[in-house]
Amino acid sequence: MDFIVDYYFNWGIIKDSFDVVLDGFVFTIKLSIVSGVLSLIWGLVLAVLRQLPGRALAPVRWITIGYIDVFRGIPALLVLFLVSGFLAAGQTDGTIPEWLGLPTWFGQPTWFWYGVIGLTLTYGAYMAEVYRAGIEAVPGGQMEAARSIGMSHGQAMRFVIVPQAVRTVIPPLLNDFIALMKDTSLVFAIGGAEVIDAGFDIQSDTFNGSAFILGAVFYLLITIPLARLVDVLITRQQEKTRRGGEPADSTETRPPSTPPGMVGA
Amino acid sequence: MTMTDAESVAPKVEPTGTSADGTFLRLENVHKRFGKLHVLRGVNMEVAKGEVVCVIGPSGSGKSTLLRCINLLEPPEEGNVILEGKNLCAVDPRADEDEEGVDYVRRRVGIVFQQFNLFPHKTALENVTLGPEKVLGRSSSEVRPEAEALLGRVGLADKINEYPDRLSGGQQQRVAIARALAMDPHVILFDEVTSALDPELVKEVLDVMRELASEGMTMVVVTHEMGFAREVASQVVFMDAGVVVEHGKPADVLENPKEERTKRFLGLVLEH
Repeated sequence: MDFIVDYYFNWGIIKDSFDVVLDGFVFTIKLSIVSGVLSLIWGLVLAVLRQLPGRALAPVRWITIGYIDVFRGIPALLVLFLVSGFLAAGQTDGTIPEWLGLPTWFGQPTWFWYGVIGLTLTYGAYMAEVYRAGIEAVPGGQMEAARSIGMSHGQAMRFVIVPQAVRTVIPPLLNDFIALMKDTSLVFAIGGAEVIDAGFDIQSDTFNGSAFILGAVFYLLITIPLARLVDVLITRQQEKTRRGGEPADSTETRPPSTPPGMVGA
Repeated sequence: MTMTDAESVAPKVEPTGTSADGTFLRLENVHKRFGKLHVLRGVNMEVAKGEVVCVIGPSGSGKSTLLRCINLLEPPEEGNVILEGKNLCAVDPRADEDEEGVDYVRRRVGIVFQQFNLFPHKTALENVTLGPEKVLGRSSSEVRPEAEALLGRVGLADKINEYPDRLSGGQQQRVAIARALAMDPHVILFDEVTSALDPELVKEVLDVMRELASEGMTMVVVTHEMGFAREVASQVVFMDAGVVVEHGKPADVLENPKEERTKRFLGLVLEH
């Protein structure tokens, strides 16, 4: 029993490793935010490409669907290895310029950018599916109404469909973001100095897992509030839908049966 | 306005491209199928500038599809739709959408839907200004006063900043009419615009339409409101099973129908 408590909750080790694990977690946060934002954008691009109309653009739709199927169907870790290996080998080979093969943009280490690229490729595909569900949930009459006042397909998507779709998919997108945040730990496998890496080093040195517990607490400090936020947003949406189902307070806002502006006109 | 019964040996009208007689809107032998369902079976119809044409008929007779064919929401598979001299259907049939034709028709033809289809994330005013701003590229300072005036015209001057979910069905439908008017259409199509409304809200929408008609707006109105048709229409068209069965002055078609099918339909709707 003492061993279990000591292995997971050795306060001395937790205190000593706090700064190292926190440094790792800062990378986790940075990686999550950068990959998250890029995935949101890339996912929306994919979702819109997938909805392009017309026969001429069918190849674009097929390629997009193929991409989404592939990247949703393989592990993120595998993608990370494929990306990092390719970029590093291409740079050594001279095929890929150094700025891209060994990126150190904005002063961040190369593994950080490998992680961003790999996670964005994967999570863009996940988020594209979420956006698609949102776009398809917008009633067909909206596209017709937009087209009937002369909008092109692109204008209708931009001003009418996507703004409505995005509102409804914020909770599932946040869920994907939580999953993405946890999956940033995979960059450990390509040399990333994040929380797992910090905990792993300490575990190797001390044969003690307390630093991992500290890392878990850091994760939970972010993920649990986010999960609660998702719940709140969903509840709010459901309430709104329920209200929308009723005839919008027709007794309150109804004007006299003849529209005032038309009287005697 | 003349109309021919399309079922009588499909008169293969020459694809004209221009209407020599200057007819404002002409449909020639329009066909539309949804899968195996042959919804429009050769509709011919002419609408003159300033006319109010009310299209009546049992549900499933193709009235709404006809309207949707006119502004190419459902492109006809066969036949011609000629608007102000341009044949909207003179395109490669394999093309998905004739963007040029679509652009032409959507800038001239407004439509108001049964289910309003207002943009729920936009206020009443923004619903009206969106088209002029984004499609016509006009400045919002120019468009806004016009949109406010239009909303005033439909009796909603005090609702311009409300979102659609705060408006009653009748109010939403009047915003939808203002939205269509904002594009300065040459003709407005009304697709059963009062069918989704509570009975006490029907009048306010019909009043707006009466007003438009009296101002000389060209209108094609699919409706079940026989009173409105009798009072406002210059022509009444009775459709059944995808063809025009009978057409003429409201008094003739509604009071003294010649065709058996028209008599039966009117008997059913006027009875209750």
